[in-house]
Amino acid sequence: MADPAKTPLGKMLLDEINPVVMVLDTPLVEETCRKNGLSFVEMLSPFCVFNNIDGEGFEMAKFETVGFDSVAVPVRTASDQPYRLQKFRLRLFYASDIRQPNLEVARERLKQVITQAGENGDSELCSDPPPIENLDARFESENLPSWFAFFNKELVRSASFSDHEAFDHPVACLLVVSSKDEQPINQFVDLFNTNKLPSLLNDGAMDPKILNYYLLVHDNQDGTTDKATKILTEMRSTFGSDCQLLCINSSEDGPVEHQDNPWVRYKSETSSGQNLGSFLNVNDINEMRDIMQELSTKQIIPCMEQKIRVLNQQVSATRKGFKNQIKSLWWRKGKDEIADSSNGSMYTFSSVESQIRVLGDYAFMLRDYELALSNYRLISTDYKLDKAWKRYAGVQEMMGLSYFLLDQSRKEAEYCLENAFTTYLKIGPSGQQNATRCGLWWVEMLKTRYQFREAASVYFRICGEEPLHSAVMLEQASYCYLLSTPPMLHKYGFHLVLSGERYKKSDQIKHAIRTYKNAISVYKEATWSHIKDHIYFNIGQWYAYLGRYDLAVSHVLEVLACSHQSKTSQDIFLRQFLQIVQKTGRIFEVPKLQLPEIKISSLRVIFEDHRTYATPAVASVKESIWRSLEEDLIPSLSTGRTNWLELHSKLVAKTYKESNVCVAGEAVRVDFEIKNPLQIPISVSSVSLICELAASSDETQTDANSQAGKLQNDNELTMTTSRESDNNSFLTLSKVDFSLGGGEVVMVQLTVTPRIEGILQIVGVRWNLSSAVVGFHNFESNPRRKKSAKGRQRGNRSLSDNLKFVVIKSLPKLEGFIQPLPTSTYAGDVRHLVLELRNQSECTVKNLKLKVSHPRFLNVGSQESLDADFPACLEKRTEHHYVQPDHNNISQPVFIFPEDTIITAETPLLWPLWFRAAVPGNISLYLTIYYEIEDSSSSMRYRTLRMHHNVQVLPSLGISFQVSPCPSKLEEFLVQMDVVNRTSTKSFQVHQLASVGEQWEISLLEPVDTILPSQCLVAGQSLSCFFMLKNQRKSGISENKTSSTSVPLGSVVRLGPEGSTEPLFDTSSSPLVDFHRNERLHQEISHQGDSTVDFILISRSLKSDLDSGTSDPPQLFSHHSCHCRQVPVPKLKI
Amino acid sequence: MIVCVAVVGHQNNPLYIQSFTDADDALKLHHIVHCSLDVVDERVNNPKKSGPTLNETFLGLLYPTENYKVYGYLTNTKVKFILVTTDLDVRDADVRNFFRRFHAAYVDAVSNPFHVPGKKITSKTFAETVSTIVKSFGLSSAG
Repeated sequence: MADPAKTPLGKMLLDEINPVVMVLDTPLVEETCRKNGLSFVEMLSPFCVFNNIDGEGFEMAKFETVGFDSVAVPVRTASDQPYRLQKFRLRLFYASDIRQPNLEVARERLKQVITQAGENGDSELCSDPPPIENLDARFESENLPSWFAFFNKELVRSASFSDHEAFDHPVACLLVVSSKDEQPINQFVDLFNTNKLPSLLNDGAMDPKILNYYLLVHDNQDGTTDKATKILTEMRSTFGSDCQLLCINSSEDGPVEHQDNPWVRYKSETSSGQNLGSFLNVNDINEMRDIMQELSTKQIIPCMEQKIRVLNQQVSATRKGFKNQIKSLWWRKGKDEIADSSNGSMYTFSSVESQIRVLGDYAFMLRDYELALSNYRLISTDYKLDKAWKRYAGVQEMMGLSYFLLDQSRKEAEYCLENAFTTYLKIGPSGQQNATRCGLWWVEMLKTRYQFREAASVYFRICGEEPLHSAVMLEQASYCYLLSTPPMLHKYGFHLVLSGERYKKSDQIKHAIRTYKNAISVYKEATWSHIKDHIYFNIGQWYAYLGRYDLAVSHVLEVLACSHQSKTSQDIFLRQFLQIVQKTGRIFEVPKLQLPEIKISSLRVIFEDHRTYATPAVASVKESIWRSLEEDLIPSLSTGRTNWLELHSKLVAKTYKESNVCVAGEAVRVDFEIKNPLQIPISVSSVSLICELAASSDETQTDANSQAGKLQNDNELTMTTSRESDNNSFLTLSKVDFSLGGGEVVMVQLTVTPRIEGILQIVGVRWNLSSAVVGFHNFESNPRRKKSAKGRQRGNRSLSDNLKFVVIKSLPKLEGFIQPLPTSTYAGDVRHLVLELRNQSECTVKNLKLKVSHPRFLNVGSQESLDADFPACLEKRTEHHYVQPDHNNISQPVFIFPEDTIITAETPLLWPLWFRAAVPGNISLYLTIYYEIEDSSSSMRYRTLRMHHNVQVLPSLGISFQVSPCPSKLEEFLVQMDVVNRTSTKSFQVHQLASVGEQWEISLLEPVDTILPSQCLVAGQSLSCFFMLKNQRKSGISENKTSSTSVPLGSVVRLGPEGSTEPLFDTSSSPLVDFHRNERLHQEISHQGDSTVDFILISRSLKSDLDSGTSDPPQLFSHHSCHCRQVPVPKLKI
Repeated sequence: MIVCVAVVGHQNNPLYIQSFTDADDALKLHHIVHCSLDVVDERVNNPKKSGPTLNETFLGLLYPTENYKVYGYLTNTKVKFILVTTDLDVRDADVRNFFRRFHAAYVDAVSNPFHVPGKKITSKTFAETVSTIVKSFGLSSAG
């Protein structure tokens, strides 16, 4: 360790433990000095410090060079060993100040110091504290707030002038009289004899016979020094040689400007800094310096030396040596009984104990620490035996300091200080000040030895009841934790919080904010959210208290989305936040407002380029389904989705080739989830998108501008709204208002409709929270790459790319509906539907094509059957006009509308569709309609309309056929049909059974009446009936009427009641035959032979059902069973 | 009485913190737990002290505050368990026993395939088990 005297503690001790000179002066002296804006003591203070020329301490170095010889003070020890004092200082006090400071006054002073520091630190209050890594560097070089040292000094001073310590007792008395005073000699006598002397001198705590030094002050402005010199001679004759004349205010030519004014440091109020000492010229200064030097070197130090020598002899005689020790031990023992705690009056200045203490303190002040220590040790045991605890503690304290300054046993030093500290605490409130002082010294000592952890715990121990005091101590403790190696960051944060809380208690809001802000760096990571919330919320509140609403808002914002907090605290946070915002008196605009939470991961952008959607829900269907569906539709020329763009690259700048395309006048929709993370409801209004639209005419230029504008906006808290107003005419934004309950998640759908061509960029979303705050969320602020619904193929593109659109000229867009498509039906249900296509624009569309994902379910009808009466149109006509089924329908599942089909704005296109619920289950039907745009100048030549419907199909009739050879005839087969009604409520009426294929003829074996008299299959009922199937071709029987027309009709059996006139349905014409073909394809089995037969069972729902069913159309069910084969039964030999 | 137990991850992030007091002093207990991490870190990083007890998971009394005693426990995966109690005379064996059971409960909780390592433990079963252990701690020390 370095020289102990050069450590902070050493310097502090040299400053604080020094001989005290009591000053007694007359009012006229003060008046003279007041001309310089100084009191007498203040005027002399700069000249009370004496340095060795080669000593450190630069304060006085300047003056030394001005005209000072070395002031190294030669001193002798008690044993006449000469040594030099490196630095010597006198402390001047008015007699009236030599008493224990009033606690209240001291407290007020401390408070003032702190408040002032708070005001000064105002500038850094607003700046954010440095990150924690830099904190080390910041505080490493003792760069703590400078007022800590000042505060600590004040604390130490508040314990001064106690009667149990001799170093605060004046060693000399400086009597000052002005030359203007009447009868100066008498004044000198009066000064010392008045009862105004400090109680220390009067109550016997110290020797009242102290060194007197007489000083006559003459104001040169009052005339020449003649009168003064005369008085001086008179003084010399009366008081002896200890008299001096001090002439001041000798500046003749107006006020003197002092560069580096020596008084500034000694004046507490720095207001009139430069005017101090304005009448004092160089001569005055030199005179003062000479007088003070003489006082110290010629008077005080020799006097102290003398006293040390005398006392040392006395002490040696009475207390040192074995004999004396034994004696004192016996004597002490006898005294034990009468000893009490009223130790104040127990030791007068003449008692041996006091003398030893005085000896020790004098030796300490003259830097003879060995001597001091030995005396302190000697007295320490005595005080302990006497149970004079305060004195004991005082001596222990000095012992610790002596050990420290001698740089001897560290342990001893620490032990002594701790002992003193605990002893002071033990004696109750009267020792509190001393305990604090002792603790501060202890802390400084530990800090010198880099024992920051221990120092911190001592700081913790000296924080008393008084909140302000403890706040400062805790803050200092926290910095100690930070400085300790390794830094104890958790404790650092904790103590800062404790300290901040106490600052708050004592209304030092600015300090409280400072400490809390420092603590943020510890808790910044979100993990300890409870603590973090507490800190941010309090900082916010305190800023609001100070009227710094902007800062308050930004801090309270941090705690708004506190889903982990209890409902009540969430409520408090939100309420407080809104209150603060209200106080600001304006609507706050906050980027990245956490309330409510925007779930970026749920963000989906839905837009229509050449792909358009019949309903919004359609857009959520996977793109791959559409792609496979549209493969045959889209011209091979433009298989790549963006190829048309390349063809028309002249229309769109190359840079945007990769951008999405949308059409002017058509809305781009953005879907995202918005969540209320709190348990309390919040109201959100005016949710809308933030968009930028650059018109294509000045594409590049505007884009650059908007980019710049955006960058700027990112950095600002408030955002200019000019952008929105600029674009207002070109954009239409949808707005949504809603209120979110606790924890609720809502899917928000927002649209933006560009009105002109250009580049559209969706920047983010904005909303109003409780109509007080405007929140923003920039979608691309999240750097994660996201796929949008449309961007699946280009998944590696960033979100911002997906939010950028090239807006092209308005195009026709078809709207399509299918009426009346059921959402739920029974298997086998056959319906007649109408597809309606509308075109809202002026431009006509042509070349329509349609493709259906499930031809089993949906078939395109012919134009003629549009207005047909269903199911009558399916009935078998008497005059047979059979249309050759279009075989292309199967091989090529794309339906091409007739060439001349165009859709104009006025007339919607209606086209019939046939629907048949082929199998039970939940079925998704996809339809794509391709169309081309008449106007060839448009940048898009074709578009597709995508439609999607979900149909729930319930099971209806279960049918199975069993074909077995007829035992009697070779060409005939016995067919057993089992029908089960699998529904729970519905009744069916079996209507007819048809076999498909020309070679088959089917006939009833017995009338159905006998099997099923009611004609109706109620829920759960089953039916079996038998048919005869004849293979006509093989039998070689002449063809009957039907087959003569060479139509592969098969034959039909009516299952209705005998003699019913109800018409049969034509299974060999569209659409039933088409459905059958699809069924055949679907039910295809691997080895196909001629010996299979297909059956079509047609049933109807019961009439009574239909009546009860309100709007249900008459229902017709067809059940197809294909590729029925002869069951291989073992042949019986007859 | 145990007033608070906490599980703290190896990056000093709280995984589970539960107080067992009626009063609203969650913030205070959070602070105490957070603060005690310094001591844990110190013991872990100071090989001199942990030399003879290299494989010892129990860290002992971390530090006594005015009203509480804080005990610590460190698993092999550097997950810390903190126990805050108001009992002033606690037998070490009791605390060790507590931590052993607590550790077992923790292992069960993080073995859940749905638990994301490094995230907060939200398992209700874990919370129940912990509160049972905490209650039984009170009983055993009383008896």
